[in-house]
Amino acid sequence: MKTTLISLFFALTTIAAMSQKEAYYQAMGENLGGYAQCRSVEDFQALGNTFARIAETEKNEWLPAYYHAHCYIIMSFIEQADPKKKDAYLDVAEKSINRITEMAPGEADVFALQAMFYTARLVVNPMERGQQYGMLSGQAIGRAMGIDPTNPRARLIKLQNDMGTAQFYGKDVTEFCEQARTLVAGWDNFKPVSPLHPNWGKDQAEGIVKSCK
Amino acid sequence: MKQSIVFLLFIINCSLSGQTLISGTVKAKNDGTLPGANVYIPGTYDGASTDAEGRFSFKTKKTGPAVLKVEYIGYESFSKEINLNGTEIRVVAELTETFNKLEAVTISAGTFEAGDKKQANTISSLDMITTAGAAGDVFGALQTLPGTTTNGESGRLFVKGGDSDESQTYIDGALVHTPYNSTAPNTATRGRFNPFMFKGTIFSTGGYSAEYGQALSSVLLLNTNDLPEQNQLDLSFLTIGPEIALTRLWNRGAVTATASYNNLGPYMKLVPQNYEWKHAPESASGAVSIRQKSGKSGMLKIYSSYDKGSFSLLQEDLDQNKNIDYNLHNSNFFVNTSYRNKLGQKWTSTTSASFTSDKDDVAFEETDFNKELSGFHLKEVISDEVSSKITLKGGAEWFNRTLKQTFRTPADTFAYQYTNNAFAAFTEGEFYASKKFVVRAGARLEYSDYLNRTSLTPRLTAAWKIDNNSQFSAAWGWFYQNPTDDYLIYTDQLDFERADHYTFSYQMSKNDRTLRTELYYKDYSHLSKLNDPAFYLAESYDNSGDGYARGVDVFWRDKKTIKYGDYWISYSFLDTKRNYRNYPETAIPGFASRHNLAVVYKHWFGKIRSYAGLNYKYSSPRVYNDPNSQEFNGERTIAYQTLDMSWSFLYRPNIILYGAVTNIPGFRQEFGKRYASVPDDSGIYRSTTLIPGSGRFFILACFITLTKKGTDNQLDKIQ
Repeated sequence: MKTTLISLFFALTTIAAMSQKEAYYQAMGENLGGYAQCRSVEDFQALGNTFARIAETEKNEWLPAYYHAHCYIIMSFIEQADPKKKDAYLDVAEKSINRITEMAPGEADVFALQAMFYTARLVVNPMERGQQYGMLSGQAIGRAMGIDPTNPRARLIKLQNDMGTAQFYGKDVTEFCEQARTLVAGWDNFKPVSPLHPNWGKDQAEGIVKSCK
Repeated sequence: MKQSIVFLLFIINCSLSGQTLISGTVKAKNDGTLPGANVYIPGTYDGASTDAEGRFSFKTKKTGPAVLKVEYIGYESFSKEINLNGTEIRVVAELTETFNKLEAVTISAGTFEAGDKKQANTISSLDMITTAGAAGDVFGALQTLPGTTTNGESGRLFVKGGDSDESQTYIDGALVHTPYNSTAPNTATRGRFNPFMFKGTIFSTGGYSAEYGQALSSVLLLNTNDLPEQNQLDLSFLTIGPEIALTRLWNRGAVTATASYNNLGPYMKLVPQNYEWKHAPESASGAVSIRQKSGKSGMLKIYSSYDKGSFSLLQEDLDQNKNIDYNLHNSNFFVNTSYRNKLGQKWTSTTSASFTSDKDDVAFEETDFNKELSGFHLKEVISDEVSSKITLKGGAEWFNRTLKQTFRTPADTFAYQYTNNAFAAFTEGEFYASKKFVVRAGARLEYSDYLNRTSLTPRLTAAWKIDNNSQFSAAWGWFYQNPTDDYLIYTDQLDFERADHYTFSYQMSKNDRTLRTELYYKDYSHLSKLNDPAFYLAESYDNSGDGYARGVDVFWRDKKTIKYGDYWISYSFLDTKRNYRNYPETAIPGFASRHNLAVVYKHWFGKIRSYAGLNYKYSSPRVYNDPNSQEFNGERTIAYQTLDMSWSFLYRPNIILYGAVTNIPGFRQEFGKRYASVPDDSGIYRSTTLIPGSGRFFILACFITLTKKGTDNQLDKIQ
């Protein structure tokens, strides 16, 4: 009887743990599906908040914090009028960025997002921040490419940064079009570790290709 | 046993089925609803974001006692204990704004702060560099701010009716004894430091903190850059000479070595000059800057420089009615170090020290004049952040200053020298009553061993935020300073000079537009006087001088109205009189202009990747004294005007081409007259008009930055 009870107890806790994991997969899956519906700052804030809730509970997972930061970076890009708000959103993103760079220093996607974060800081005031944040973004992207040179998001952000610089200096951007085409063509060769891992960016790369024509 | 199993199953079952609805609103204390706030139950995924009206509603399967948490940017998080038992729960959460010093009221009376920390800066570090007419001179850029009077023949800072030696410059907390280059008489000087060295600047034109003494009018606080980001080589080619700077990084540290050579000779051959130079100004300098991080938060900064310069100028000697050679050789050695470290969570210690050795050798005809100044400053400041609203600071410092002067004629040698040790201690507290009100109170005790005098000075400032965009600020304090070196070298029978400051300021900032107005009154007393032509006798001096200065400063900056354009307008009205030095009576001092106006405009031309600056300055006539006249300081100069332009072109990400011209329209500029020291045979003091070295000045430059590859720098991994 006793052994039965113990084994039952273990079985139950395992089920509980599994259902917990399942709940995690399910919640993450639902939220990732939510991206498609997001348009406004408010939409992304609501979505970011749900990732924040999961991150709060799942202290050992870096993905919820990753998407939380991602949402808040997008918010700073969408926000047009108020530079103070842009910085406030990025202050929120920064906390999660710092958390995931410590938690998952071996993930190329983490540093690709960090590069995107620095670019967002730069965009708030390019005249005054250009030099500092341009360099920081370049360093982060270098780190991402160092970990995995095939990561499509790292390559996309590098491409966007390089194109921005080239356009600024009035250089020809057609050489980047070729790179963008290669990137899009090979995009699906990169297989995310799991369905929850970052898999965004292809449409943006396709956007670059389209703008080339 | 069976019961236990049933019980266990019951719990599991329960956690699967029972749901509790939680709804409510999230508000900010005294400030309406908060949309987008995150409301949730920690430990679960259950929660929601508030809608546009601040409402939320969600269901949770959790049962029993739990905590409801609300989070929102810029607010303290809110927690409430609730009991989940299936019945609906309604919650109204009131959030308190986080106290954030960056958003709170700031002490702005008398202070211009430049840095990148705050959005609401009136001027930024970049402005210091891109202001036309300043041509990369820190002091030149500051002269476009209200409260300053431009003295074209000096180039130094004259602040709110104060003489130039009433202003002090500090780098990383340590005093700079010789912030200006040595120049020929009546030519404008420049600062010794490259503005690119500094990440932040605080220019206080009155009512400054008890941390700073020995300045009657203003303090300029320069903070140097932290660790550079990468190895690099900077090459600069200017029409006046080249400069090279090399930066190397190592583990948590870096060194930058700089060498430059300037020679105005080729330029002066090309552009006609008003004066005859026998040997055009020529100088060479080298500097080493070291940065090292230590421990978790320690930062050591060392900056050391040496420069040597010389020139020879033909000047009219009005007493002898002939031209004589005026030769100057200057050498300057400067070290500045600071070490800043956090002691635990709340305490910060900053130790700073500086040493200067400056030598001027001046020769004209058969006379030699040598001046040697050595200065030392050591300072320790401890600050304690008691809470987010209270900061206490205290510190002690030691100044040592030795001046030697030797005057040699074929017949005689006169040598004088003096050494002063000054010891000071200060304490200060900054108290935020709320985000809207702050008070800073401090006191400073100072002792000078040469004068054998002690002073105790109170300082008080307060600022009150009226609404999100505007604030009032007021400052009051006593300020003491030793009399000028020129007097102290002959006498120790003098007292500290004193100025009392009363400053009221109003500032409004909205949408990248800033308006500042400032009203001030300064009461000068104990100014030192020379009462007898026998300047070499101690008895000729006393502290019977006094004076006042009062005025209004207005500053308007607008980064918004013109797309890619940015301008500011500074206007200062100044009413001042004083009786000091060798003045026979109270009079308007020669350095003061009643009206000063500066208009600075900058524009970014994206298509041609150019940053252009245009700058107009006006100073109303100043007075000067004509010894032929009965009235003291009764003559007036013409008004000073200049229109300057600069153009920066980003040719490549790492190559900048730069050009600047001062006084484009060629406004006539005169700075009064210089008179003979004795009358000629007909009883008249002969004179000559003081004019600048040339009507215009132009400079062309090319700045190249090369980043080195093949090192451990992350950037290389991309290539």
